[in-house]
Amino acid sequence: MLLSIIRKNDKLAAKRNPSFERNRFAKFIIYFMVAFWAAYLIFIGITLALGLKEGIQNMEPYHVFNQFIIYLLFADFLLRFMGQPATSQEIKPYLLFPIKKNKLIDTFLLQSGLSIFNLFWFFLVLPFAVITIPETYGFWGVILYLFGMWLLFIMNNYWYQICKTLLRQKTIYLLLPAAVYGSILAVDLLPKTNYFGRFTMNLGEGFIEGNIIAFIGVISVILLLFIINRYMQIYLMYKELGKVEDSNIKRVSQFKFLDRYGEVGEFMRLELKLCLRNKAVKHQVRMGFIIMLAFSFVLAFTDVYNGTGMSRFICIYNYAILSVMTLGQIMSFEGNYIDGLLCRRTSIFNLLLAKFYVNCFILLIPFAFMMIPVYKGKIDLLMAFAYMLFTAGVVFALLMQYAVYNKKTIALNATIMRSNRGSSFFQTIVICCALFLPIIFNSLLSSLFSDETTYIIMLITGAIFILTHRIWIKNIYTRMMARKFENLEGFRETR
Amino acid sequence: MDINIKNLVKDFGSKRAVDIDRYTVKSGEMIGLVGNNGAGKTTLFRLILDLLKRDEGDITIGEWSVNETELWKNYTGTFIDDSFLIDYLTPEEFFYFVGKMYNISKSSIDEKLEKFTRFMNDEVMDTKKLIRNFSAGNKQKIGIIAAMLHDPKLLILDEPFNFLDPTSQSVIKHMLKDYNEKTGATIIISSHNLNHTVDICKRIALLEHGKIIRDIDNSDYSAGKELEDYFEVKE
Repeated sequence: MLLSIIRKNDKLAAKRNPSFERNRFAKFIIYFMVAFWAAYLIFIGITLALGLKEGIQNMEPYHVFNQFIIYLLFADFLLRFMGQPATSQEIKPYLLFPIKKNKLIDTFLLQSGLSIFNLFWFFLVLPFAVITIPETYGFWGVILYLFGMWLLFIMNNYWYQICKTLLRQKTIYLLLPAAVYGSILAVDLLPKTNYFGRFTMNLGEGFIEGNIIAFIGVISVILLLFIINRYMQIYLMYKELGKVEDSNIKRVSQFKFLDRYGEVGEFMRLELKLCLRNKAVKHQVRMGFIIMLAFSFVLAFTDVYNGTGMSRFICIYNYAILSVMTLGQIMSFEGNYIDGLLCRRTSIFNLLLAKFYVNCFILLIPFAFMMIPVYKGKIDLLMAFAYMLFTAGVVFALLMQYAVYNKKTIALNATIMRSNRGSSFFQTIVICCALFLPIIFNSLLSSLFSDETTYIIMLITGAIFILTHRIWIKNIYTRMMARKFENLEGFRETR
Repeated sequence: MDINIKNLVKDFGSKRAVDIDRYTVKSGEMIGLVGNNGAGKTTLFRLILDLLKRDEGDITIGEWSVNETELWKNYTGTFIDDSFLIDYLTPEEFFYFVGKMYNISKSSIDEKLEKFTRFMNDEVMDTKKLIRNFSAGNKQKIGIIAAMLHDPKLLILDEPFNFLDPTSQSVIKHMLKDYNEKTGATIIISSHNLNHTVDICKRIALLEHGKIIRDIDNSDYSAGKELEDYFEVKE
């Protein structure tokens, strides 16, 4: 009874998520991605089965496959972090009902064990099993193998629940999965060991043969993890409920140098604090920086991207990536406090200006890194400079158009998967244009002019847009205000 | 600062949320807006502040039609809900931010904040806490103070007594009354607390299904009985 209510509520929560319910394009993208991954895993499953059948003569394909089960479980473990909440996070709304806490925890744990997500990897395992097992063990072999694999994923689910719950308490608990997977990898990498590979190979074969010890073994581990989870959830429940994140900040940064820039400076300060103090934004910016720095280093210190075309692509991408991640969501975070901003005159215009300036300033970082390949003679200084100006002018002007149409709030502190993201059609178009237009423009110019002329044209185009930024930002602001009510309604509904 | 509402209509689907033929708030008046849940109080505030599109009618604040110019924003202070707070700032940062929007220097803000010392009760300033980590009551205080920092000629507060402890409720009551008397500012508050509303507002508008069904003169602070009868408040 309780289990079916919780399952029903879970389904409704997913179905009635505002970004999903109100955004047909996001709905399409989600279905498309699920279908894509399903098809991709099925393809891998089939290819792997056929490949191993033909490629390895002295071993059965499932013997080879089963040696890597531990890695499959590791991938499953990581994937769960993308979207699966800890039981302790979900329990709160039910605590005031006249239900015993233990029963509630048991039900939630049972629910996570029975979750359809535990069958996700069957897209890969099922076709593989169907192709490779029946020859020797028939249909029952397949059924028993799939049942065993399902048990393994349930086991992994409870292992994940333990790690996730502990990690919500302290980051230091990251050492637990790191130690476990690190040890496995270390043992596996030692020559002539492969203990885990051999163990999982035998376990897999045990499943296929219907070896009762194999099943009892896994079920025992599941029960053990279930009990550990149970005690841990009870113990940590009140800590979780009373949890206040970042209750005090250690140092209040004022960025006093921005004082001299008036209201725009104040918004630039706000932009910096937005990036530094909110989990969702911080994560996004950090990811952008990591990708940007990675490309910069690759371009600077390796010979991977030595061709002109590839260097150009990486160079442009390097400038655009962070702004695509930030300006590509423009106004979504402000949606949380947009009413307050709109009650003050012209503040949104200054906010847009501040966003433009901050992003322009950030472009100096990849430009600085670009000086290394310039020094090494891998790319032209003119090219690096022209692309920077083109990004600041044209690409930013493009990306910021989304401010006119964006009406979706993203929670400031939710994790990526729980922060109500999901692309709208216009957002996808804008981001695609921002990423590919410079390449197309560059290629077009290159086909007509010399490289030097191409860069000069790009530089001038970018400079014109930069110099006229107040005009086009004013235009964006005016169009935003014309759609103000529609956008406000959207922001409120998605909060 | 006067507010004039003419033929104002707002529908949500088939439901008429606000329907006011004519209503005028004169400069310096202190109005209490009362009504049951869903009566349209917050919707009316959002319409006045041009945060919601009206289907028909016109609203002017002072000489300005709210949807034609933003000049009225310089003279208006408001706090409706948490979406008026930038919750990743500390209260001090938020107050300075708001100050900057009205060209008020940090030192002036510090001076102005002194007036709110009792209201803040040592729980708001110098805590190094982000607004999102404050209790609902203290968030309410921060929002109200931010709305009053630039000495607005029109102050609109939605449920200002909500979440506040009894002492703070008493302080805010006196603070609003004083502010109205000393500055001549127009104040509109909505509240479910009939006693507080009757205590401080000389005029009370009773809203039902989006319509102002009674415009009660409370200059002798005697509207309590009429409101209690309407809301069927029984001992």
